[in-house]
Amino acid sequence: MEPDNKQNANPTIINPSDLPSRRRASAVKRHGDGAAGLFDGLVPPYAYFNDPFDRSSRESSLDEDDVVEEIDEQEIYDLISTISDPEHPLSLGSLAVVNLPDIHIKPPASPRSSISTVVVEITPTITHCSLATVIGLGVRVRLEQALPPRFRVDVRIKEGTHSTGDAVNKQLGDKERVAAALENGTLVGVLRKMLSTCG
Amino acid sequence: MPSTTEGPLPLTLRPLATFAPPSSTRTWFSAPHPSVPLLATASSDKTVRVYSLATFALHSTVSGGHKRSVRACAWKPASSGETVIATGSFDASAGVWRRWEDGAAARKVREAEVDLTASGGDEDEDDWRFAVLLDGHESEIKSVAWSASGNLLATCSRDKTVWVWEELEDDNFETVAVLQDHDADVKCVAWHPQEDLLASASYDETIRLYREEIDDWTCVAVLAGHAATVWSIDFEGVEPRVHGKVVKAENEAEGSREKTWAEEWERAGPRLVSSSDDLTVRVWKRRPKEGGSVQPRGASVPSIIKSTNIEEEWMEEAQLPQRHDRAIYAAAWSESTGRVVSAGSDGKIVVYEERWRATGEPTNGPNGDKVEDAFSRCSQASATVWVVVAEVECAHDVYEINHVCWSRRWDKKRRREDEEMVISTGDDGEVKAWVLDGST
Repeated sequence: MEPDNKQNANPTIINPSDLPSRRRASAVKRHGDGAAGLFDGLVPPYAYFNDPFDRSSRESSLDEDDVVEEIDEQEIYDLISTISDPEHPLSLGSLAVVNLPDIHIKPPASPRSSISTVVVEITPTITHCSLATVIGLGVRVRLEQALPPRFRVDVRIKEGTHSTGDAVNKQLGDKERVAAALENGTLVGVLRKMLSTCG
Repeated sequence: MPSTTEGPLPLTLRPLATFAPPSSTRTWFSAPHPSVPLLATASSDKTVRVYSLATFALHSTVSGGHKRSVRACAWKPASSGETVIATGSFDASAGVWRRWEDGAAARKVREAEVDLTASGGDEDEDDWRFAVLLDGHESEIKSVAWSASGNLLATCSRDKTVWVWEELEDDNFETVAVLQDHDADVKCVAWHPQEDLLASASYDETIRLYREEIDDWTCVAVLAGHAATVWSIDFEGVEPRVHGKVVKAENEAEGSREKTWAEEWERAGPRLVSSSDDLTVRVWKRRPKEGGSVQPRGASVPSIIKSTNIEEEWMEEAQLPQRHDRAIYAAAWSESTGRVVSAGSDGKIVVYEERWRATGEPTNGPNGDKVEDAFSRCSQASATVWVVVAEVECAHDVYEINHVCWSRRWDKKRRREDEEMVISTGDDGEVKAWVLDGST
């Protein structure tokens, strides 16, 4: 019934011009703490991840260390809405997998802490989508790459939109599994392709 | 929540040193050597860095054996003449490495002022020999642990299994058990400090205990209670300490609750502490066996209990005051003070101490005030209460803390021979030493 092997051959597509966006060239700067290799453990340092915030711009932001930049939900949306779906030549934004109202930023839990939390709820195009974990991983990796390290990133399946949502959420929340997945060449190849459309 | 968590805490965690140089990538786990001043740190750069605990400087590097992140490492206890370390990696293999502990090298690390740049000339001293590769797991190894005697090594993996390896002779390891009781990733393994009792913690939210019965390792207890992945487990030392002091039944007044508590502890043995993604740190206690060999008070023994039954009953004794707001990746029990330290994704380090509970003071049993009912079979469970004695936020700047443990302090500025320190290991690639200031 699905000659091209796609799980959802006819997804609903939103016109890109109808998507909320406020893209700027350098909306988010990394925390330039000199630990350039830090993300190596999290994300292998593959240039093909096409990170817009390259090392040189990171280093040039050294003098802005003490400035805690305000990052809002719209900026988070702009970072992840351009991720490509692993099976459609479309963005997660136009497939309504990521939606602005499902992105929340939680401030630090105490005044002595500077750690904020980004919660992104994704909506798979179909409730039994086996790629939900990969999509969630793509969103998590994208945000962990692009946001300063003071952000914790929690990616979840929006409640009621997936048959095994809890199991997917548990995997996406498991740091050790995520780290190991990013040492898996095949999976990294898939993620690289998904993130290659992030300007 | 005990009222003692309000207001200023009695102790301060003071940063003592950052081990140098740090790793440029995530560090996962650190293990202090049981008898010499060395600390081994497992890193995602596929190596283990061995630092001096006396100088906080790099001593040597274990490298070249693993194809992916080294997730865990463990020093083999009771090995003389050589230092032996086991490593567990995301490449699904475990390694055993050896290095001669010659007099010169041993003296060097004991002296506080080691010039590390000068040691580069002597190749042999920094030579870690990759002795054996333990293959068998199907996916990432998460934790490795040697039994107290040092002749058994346990490994666990995402493949849901726990393996027990026995060292028959040097570098000849035999698989003595493949335990498949868990339903998901096994995150941590730990051995009882005196018995050949193995514990494992899992993504399936349970902790399991295993023993050998006539050449067969079997699961003897399931500890259910955590509501999310159990990240770490650690046994208490061989003597219980309340408010820092050793508690022995023979030293306590006849008829006192302290004596009753101590007697029960002595029949049950060391407890277990666990930390979880459910934001709790829990203490588990073995229910003394009525038919057990130790029966100091001469209670009547029901004849229906078979002596061959190796099943154990463990119960949740306490939940420590909840101070973390994200996954707690590690909790460790100090052998020398009885304190517990925890750390995790929120970047906090918290130190807890067990105290005698004042009359009327709330307990921290699993069901709060209802603890007396829940533990009617275990009358002394609420004789003590856990309080937070020290806490530090953003201990690794804004980064997550993957591991925390206790170590004896070895540097020249230590205030007592038995002074201890906390060692934390972070996503920033840094390993830090902390000391506790103040008194309780």
